Amino acid sequence: MTIPDAPRPGGFPFDDADRQDTGARPPASDTGAPHRPLGSPDARFETFFNDPRWALAMIRATVLEAAHPTIGAALIDNSTFVTHPWRRLRNTFLSMQRMTGADEEARSREAARLNRMHARLKGTDPHRRPYDAMDPGARAWVVATLFESSVTMCRLSGQPLEQGFMEALYAEFQAMLAEMGDEPGHLPDTLPEFWQYYDRVVAEELENTEAMRVILYKLFDHLPAPPLLSGLPTVWAAGRAVVGPVVGAIAVASLPEPFRRRAGLPEMPGAQTLMQGAYLAVGLARFLPTSWMQPANIIGLLEMTPDSDDPRARTLAELQARMKRAGALLRLLTPLPDRPEPAAPPATAAAAEQRQDTENFFRQVLDQTGNGSLDWPDLAAMARELCSRLDLDEPEETRLYDAYAAWWRELQAALDTDGDGSISAQEYAAAAPSLAGPALIRVAEVLFDVTDRDGSGHIDAAEYRALFRTAFHRDMPGAGGATYTRSAFVKEFLAFMSGRQRTTAFDPLIAGA
Amino acid sequence: MNMQQTADGAAPSPDLPGPSDGGPGRVPHHVACVMDGNGRWAQSRALPRTSGHSAAEATVIDVIEAARAAGVGWLSLYAFSTENWGRPSNEVDFLMRLVRRVVRKHAVFLHARGIRCRFLGVTDPRIPPKLARDFDDLMTLTGDNRGMTLTVAFDHGGRRDIVEAARSLLRSNTPAESVTEQTFADHLPYPDTPDVDLVIRTSGEQRISNFMLWQVAYAEWVFPPVLWPDFRASHFLECLHSYRQRDRRFGGVLPNEIGEPRL
Repeated sequence: MTIPDAPRPGGFPFDDADRQDTGARPPASDTGAPHRPLGSPDARFETFFNDPRWALAMIRATVLEAAHPTIGAALIDNSTFVTHPWRRLRNTFLSMQRMTGADEEARSREAARLNRMHARLKGTDPHRRPYDAMDPGARAWVVATLFESSVTMCRLSGQPLEQGFMEALYAEFQAMLAEMGDEPGHLPDTLPEFWQYYDRVVAEELENTEAMRVILYKLFDHLPAPPLLSGLPTVWAAGRAVVGPVVGAIAVASLPEPFRRRAGLPEMPGAQTLMQGAYLAVGLARFLPTSWMQPANIIGLLEMTPDSDDPRARTLAELQARMKRAGALLRLLTPLPDRPEPAAPPATAAAAEQRQDTENFFRQVLDQTGNGSLDWPDLAAMARELCSRLDLDEPEETRLYDAYAAWWRELQAALDTDGDGSISAQEYAAAAPSLAGPALIRVAEVLFDVTDRDGSGHIDAAEYRALFRTAFHRDMPGAGGATYTRSAFVKEFLAFMSGRQRTTAFDPLIAGA
Repeated sequence: MNMQQTADGAAPSPDLPGPSDGGPGRVPHHVACVMDGNGRWAQSRALPRTSGHSAAEATVIDVIEAARAAGVGWLSLYAFSTENWGRPSNEVDFLMRLVRRVVRKHAVFLHARGIRCRFLGVTDPRIPPKLARDFDDLMTLTGDNRGMTLTVAFDHGGRRDIVEAARSLLRSNTPAESVTEQTFADHLPYPDTPDVDLVIRTSGEQRISNFMLWQVAYAEWVFPPVLWPDFRASHFLECLHSYRQRDRRFGGVLPNEIGEPRL
């Protein structure tokens, strides 16, 4: 739409579904829509989308999306937003940047990629109702919530939009849906009809879904620290314990009243005031220096790991080193308890450590969706992450997915002892050593092939950076400093995926929050 | 020798001999202490062995301060060997608690003096996780300091380090011909550590006891009879003095001994 790094309405971490609002078809000329082409400058929208209140509006929109039964089911089954929110945030943001950038080819490529990705999200919800991320009604609803939340965010903070701007904004969102390649007609043509449609969906279709409850009550209470702050878990947890419930309460209070009533959401005294105060206060942030509030900067900083190759990484590494030192000093200065704690017998301690390692690996690496068990969506999420990092097209994307699917069948056959179709943490712990079978080796080989863009038989510095977002490490096995051979790559991937070795480049790639 | 020393992270201050040439009158660049005699010190006072370890704390701090003031660049202390696990379990437990308390108590002191702390060894699963955590924290806290480097050998064994280096060498697929003393040393833990110039073993015992075997190859040894808890800064300076009196020949002969003019 406007400048490349302007935040987009969909630029929020939580859902895969909100990527759907951006579509497959290059500019909407073929629909005959009257608005300006995407990528043209319009200062009004630029200012509008740079508003920090979007953070609150996006939480609200995401809750409303998750309350839609189809979207909610797709989210709960497939999304990694609970376990890897910062990675999600970055991916969604990058995708939106491409989708709204001036480069038409990049837009249509990204749209095709998103549509392929969403076409893979199908299944049945717990009530055995089928869901499909390509469902046009659901896609229209995503766009509707984004539009409605931006209008509401302005109303709630006491700066309602003028009618003319509101209509232009609606046209903008309609264009996004048209761009997705969806047939017209799922969103009403005019603004008055839109409000009728919106009220009807809120009154009749929305439900108190599990995905919605997860966002409202679980996500913020368990939000992992962004990589930058991972050295200070205590500080992060303390801040989160205060902020999490407040964010949840604000989101609930801003939902439409009829829906709150129907979904049985609590009415807390003072929540309305708190919510309006929050919108007002965040609105004031627009008076801060522009560069502080550039979402691209903020998101980049949150997601960046200190060993990444970004030019800012040195500053960041220094900052994190300081935080680590501060954390270390804090722990060293904490007084010890007067009485020595009874030491666990060493054998038990070692076994406990082993168990802890296995549990951590299961939680951080394998269970990507955070539902406590290993299922196909977890492995699909890994494949999805790798595809988007490497910016793969067909047929490489399908090759990688197929390799992961074969690995899933192998895992299921080997580990799913009770035959319920998914692998629990216990089943995994009982059979962890057998994780590295032929299908996993195949995954490593396919990953090597698609990473090795020029087919040279080794991964050079640029290819390495595309996958790991960092330069070669000095201590990398088999790396003479310049290239990474197939055997070394496969070996390291296997060591990582079988949980034997955690300190590799794969750790931030697959386990990073 | 010289190569290793220029590779060390701490910049030697200008009034020091840079890379030590082993000549007389020099402050040793790397001093190591085998802290022996705690048990005998306690027994001679009819105290439990553990109180000897407690009394050692004051000596450790005294020696660190004396070494720093004398301009020693690297100080290594042998606190706990891999063989010490064979001691009675209550003594081992006591030592673990004591070390933890000492580390926490003096963390700020060490950091404020610009001392970079390292722990050599620390691999045994019997080490309490909380102690290992404190070691890590102290290393993190002081890792960027530019003053003296204090290496505490804890759960250390010289042979084990050499075996580990050999393993690491094999894992890196280094061809046999290209293994030299230098490339081998690069696989030892903390490869930037320079060779030890002077080892002080208190209590009069004269053994190596599997201590930093690779690094002590050319070290001078002194064996003051005083027990470690009684060892003080003055004793430390005496040891430095006796080091200065020695001719270090590294297996050769000094030029003036064979009558050649010194350049």
